[in-house]
Amino acid sequence: MINKDAKTILEVRDLTATVAGVEILKGINLTVRAGEVHAIMGPNGSGKSTFAKVLAGHPAYTVKGGDVLFEGKDLFALESDERARAGIFLGFQYPVEIPGVTNSAFLRLAYNTVQGGRGKDELDPLEFDDLVREKMKLLEMNPEFLGRSVNDGFSGGEKKRNEILQMALLEPKLALLDETDSGLDIDALRVVAGGVNKLLNADNACVLVTHYQRLLNYITPDYVHVMSAGRIIRSGDRTLALELEERGYDWLLDGKKAAA
Amino acid sequence: MSTVLDTLVSQPYKHGFVTDIESETAPKGLNEDIIRMISAKKNEPEWLLDFRLKAYRHWLTMTEPKWPNVTYPKIDFQDISYYAAPKPKKKQSMDEVDPELLRTFEKLGVPVHERAALAGVAVDVIFDSVSVTTTYKEKLAEVGIIFCSISEAVHNHPELVKKYIGSVVPAGDNYYAALNSAVFTDGSFCFIPKGVKCPMELSTYFRINTQDSGQFERTLIIAEEGAQVSYLEGCTAPKFDTNQLHAAVVELVALDDADIKYSTVQNWYAGDENGKGGIYNFVTKRGLCKGRNSKISWTQVETGSAITWKYPSCVLLGENSIGEFYSVALTNHKQQADTGTKMIHLGKNTRSTIISKGISAGHSNNSYRGLVKIGAKAEGARNFSQCDSMLIGAKCGANTFPYIQVNNPTAKVEHEATTSKIGEDQLFYFQSRGIGTEEAVSMIINGFCKDVFQQLPMEFAVEATKLLGLKLEGSVG
Amino acid sequence: MTTAAVHPYVASLLAGSGAVPKSPAAWLDARRASALERANALSVPTTRDEEWRFTDLTPLTKLQLQPAALPAPVTAEEVEAHAVPEAAVRLVFIDGILVPQLGSSGTLPAGVTVLPLADALKSHAALLEPHLTKIAGDDLFASLNTAFLNQGVFIHFAKGAVLKAPIHLLFVAAGQNVAAHPRVLLVAESGAEGCVIEDYVAQGEAAGLTNAVTEIAVADNAAVRHIKLQRESQKAFHIGSCAVTLGKDARFVSQAVTLGARLSRNNLAILQQGEGVEVAIDGLALIDGRQLADTHTLIDHLKPHGRCEQVHKTIVGGGAHAVFNGKVFVREGAQLTDSSQQNRNLLLSDKAHVDTKPQLEIFADDVKCAHGAAVGQLDPDHLFYLKSRGLPEAQARNLLTYAFGAEIIDRIPVPSLVAKLEAMVLARTEAGA
Repeated sequence: MINKDAKTILEVRDLTATVAGVEILKGINLTVRAGEVHAIMGPNGSGKSTFAKVLAGHPAYTVKGGDVLFEGKDLFALESDERARAGIFLGFQYPVEIPGVTNSAFLRLAYNTVQGGRGKDELDPLEFDDLVREKMKLLEMNPEFLGRSVNDGFSGGEKKRNEILQMALLEPKLALLDETDSGLDIDALRVVAGGVNKLLNADNACVLVTHYQRLLNYITPDYVHVMSAGRIIRSGDRTLALELEERGYDWLLDGKKAAA
Repeated sequence: MSTVLDTLVSQPYKHGFVTDIESETAPKGLNEDIIRMISAKKNEPEWLLDFRLKAYRHWLTMTEPKWPNVTYPKIDFQDISYYAAPKPKKKQSMDEVDPELLRTFEKLGVPVHERAALAGVAVDVIFDSVSVTTTYKEKLAEVGIIFCSISEAVHNHPELVKKYIGSVVPAGDNYYAALNSAVFTDGSFCFIPKGVKCPMELSTYFRINTQDSGQFERTLIIAEEGAQVSYLEGCTAPKFDTNQLHAAVVELVALDDADIKYSTVQNWYAGDENGKGGIYNFVTKRGLCKGRNSKISWTQVETGSAITWKYPSCVLLGENSIGEFYSVALTNHKQQADTGTKMIHLGKNTRSTIISKGISAGHSNNSYRGLVKIGAKAEGARNFSQCDSMLIGAKCGANTFPYIQVNNPTAKVEHEATTSKIGEDQLFYFQSRGIGTEEAVSMIINGFCKDVFQQLPMEFAVEATKLLGLKLEGSVG
Repeated sequence: MTTAAVHPYVASLLAGSGAVPKSPAAWLDARRASALERANALSVPTTRDEEWRFTDLTPLTKLQLQPAALPAPVTAEEVEAHAVPEAAVRLVFIDGILVPQLGSSGTLPAGVTVLPLADALKSHAALLEPHLTKIAGDDLFASLNTAFLNQGVFIHFAKGAVLKAPIHLLFVAAGQNVAAHPRVLLVAESGAEGCVIEDYVAQGEAAGLTNAVTEIAVADNAAVRHIKLQRESQKAFHIGSCAVTLGKDARFVSQAVTLGARLSRNNLAILQQGEGVEVAIDGLALIDGRQLADTHTLIDHLKPHGRCEQVHKTIVGGGAHAVFNGKVFVREGAQLTDSSQQNRNLLLSDKAHVDTKPQLEIFADDVKCAHGAAVGQLDPDHLFYLKSRGLPEAQARNLLTYAFGAEIIDRIPVPSLVAKLEAMVLARTEAGA
């Protein structure tokens, strides 16, 4: 939902970043206001996943230049756990498995830490259990998952649901969903997308990084950006995604070459 | 990020101080005269000296084992002192123990005063080669339990020592067991008579203090029919930049319906971050489930030593007997561990469980080596083994060597193994949910080790958790 | 034209391959010819070959086999007994030959194509060309199959096409001393989802050879479920190979149940060509008498973030022999692979035996691999528990044996098949007790 008067949540200016000395992001500019859904698409290796990870503070990436303001404050002044407490949420492309740590303990610790960081009350295990079970219904998850180790032995679809469950609990201001749709069957995609839709409101925003246009049939983006070689080379509304589905990326890349 | 992991796994060793106490030390070197000297110092009967000399002569014909997955320079067995005892000579009561020694053990957190002791734990305290004191001896004697140093047992209960010593680990069993049989100096002796359930935890605390001495202790625990005992052992040593040899032998015997639980928290000095110094821990531990329905359970938390070579084993002879092995082995820096267990099923319907958790950090190498052997007559024998490894950082190694020999078709043997890793991705996942690195590592490690910690007696579980914490947590840079 | 086969038995198996009609596509004729060359050069494997170490093919070499000229007579009623009501479409092959009138077809959703191979070669040659014979291996039996390549099925799921109902392929062995070489090619384009059942049954007690090859290409973000049931006669020989390639984010489920054949060999080879795939491999072999069931699986993780969970179970009675060889390869660079393998074997008699050989080869340093193998008899504690609740010994044994197998069967999402398989397993365990 576009509202030009809404407050700006994320402001990215000329962001450049490297991994292992190789420049992956070569000058990204993006403004995300409250209530908006942005989709970032692009071929493999275009840097779209890197962009999401850099915003969340993944240690493998080094920011080389540019500014990122999150609610008007310098994002890079914060450690990744501080960013999480400030309201940034990264839905992982490949959620990490933590054997031996139960999902319920992990979720409660994350929830209470983030609550504490926002000056809100923590929940005791019983109160938390009520809350998490309520949120699990949203994602049609079996409460049995609470007793299992974090993502350990989960199917791809179960892991992605677990990610969105965490988003539901942590109530971020900005959700960065990195290929949350990859590897999902159509039924699972409907559930996950439905969950995300229910969590979006006029005060938060979402950046979807996706490889497949299919997700955008279920979550309607306000803006679609195409990334290639570390830059956003085209931005448009949702019709751009449909055009990409029809024509692939080559025409854009060729156009860029021709223009260059 | 790797620096974060480095600080996390590089906590200083807290037990590395040396007690300034005058010691009586045997000259370096090993020969029959030294063995006679040790035996004479301890005023031993002739049969025990024979036992030692036989073992020594056999040892001379043996060579060091080469199969463990560890490397170290050749040990010069003539450069070690085989006897070191604090002077003045051991006293008869607590009040006469050298206050310097008492302060040492207090500093280590070992309860040597009965009044200050943790409720329900009796302790035998071994300093270098000798037993310094044993608490609650009288109280235990009231129910017929003998708990004392093995030197004392040789004098006061020779028939028991003679009957059982070498019955589970024969003097010539392996290179280090033979060495121990020749030169062992002290250790703990426990005898739980028929039908008695030991009312408190029995515990031995081992401390190596002298730089050039080895520690060769010998522990013997006998549980008669229907007896039950839980025994704990803890070990520390000062920081020296030379290596000390620790070659212990532990023998357990469980008769019909007896139950022995043996727990170890091993925190010998491990050497510095460059692998300088530390204890060579070459230990033979074996339990014999001699009687029907007997049970022997080993639980170990191994965090120390430069090199660990140790396979607490169970020989399951009695029908329906049960062997268990629960282990957490943590290696860091340049530590090397080759540890595991042997479960030898000889009797019908014998059962064994192996749960091994190996954690490797730094440049360390951590191997699990286990043998499950089902003899031809072990109808209905069952084993379940689970061997999990966790790697912290990218420069350490983990190996699993399971050996399975099944000679009876009715046996059921299961083996499971996993390897997981704590790297920046795992920590970043926690961080991106608002959880800091230190808390994340502690949560991961405790989750990983939970199956083993549950087996430890309460006080030790707390100690073990703290110990792993000390080794792995710390200020995040 | 081609050199004669070196091995006399291979020569006899190849007799009749010259009668395969020329294909409308020249590329296929060339591929057939080179497969014929290759088969000619190969010998029948012996137990000296590592891949056949536990499976002796000598009994097969004593059978003189011919491809069927005409399908043996099988009535519609007999076929109907094997019907899967949930199926969207059914194709029936008798002795390896398609019999269209025995099949059935509902309306398929847009983008889903199911065609006899011979027709597809005419109408969809461009879709077949990149995949046909390119996915399968080139051992003797696959080469023989390719040399005879003519009869079979082509299944195509276009981009985003979803068919929840299974496609049922029924292969009936009916003639005496017949060798059948059916071929299945399934191509799922990006985002597609589908399910195919390969169902091998027998009419009577015919001794013969089924030498089936299935090729499956699963493109990016597509999902395929492959269910294979083999319940041929106890005199039959069954050699089946299924080869699968997986693109980025692809999902693949294999569920194979082996009940029949005197000697069967099931090969499954899965190649992970894109990152982030998810694979499940379920296997169950229930055999007795003198049966031998050999399963060889391979999952080759070439790219990062692959996940594979494998459970292979066998229930072995009488003097039967089960073989399992499961290979897991994690190639250099295939970081964060999570691959697990479990092989559980239940021996019902002292003469039954199992050879199991899990094989993990890992060339990446950040992976999670778990493997486990168990061989054993029924748990005496479980038996005792049931008996203490009043169940007679035999009944308690049947129940536990059945439960052991049911764990695999229950995961097949086709209720009529589950019901049928459970009844068969129960009948087997009761007869075997």
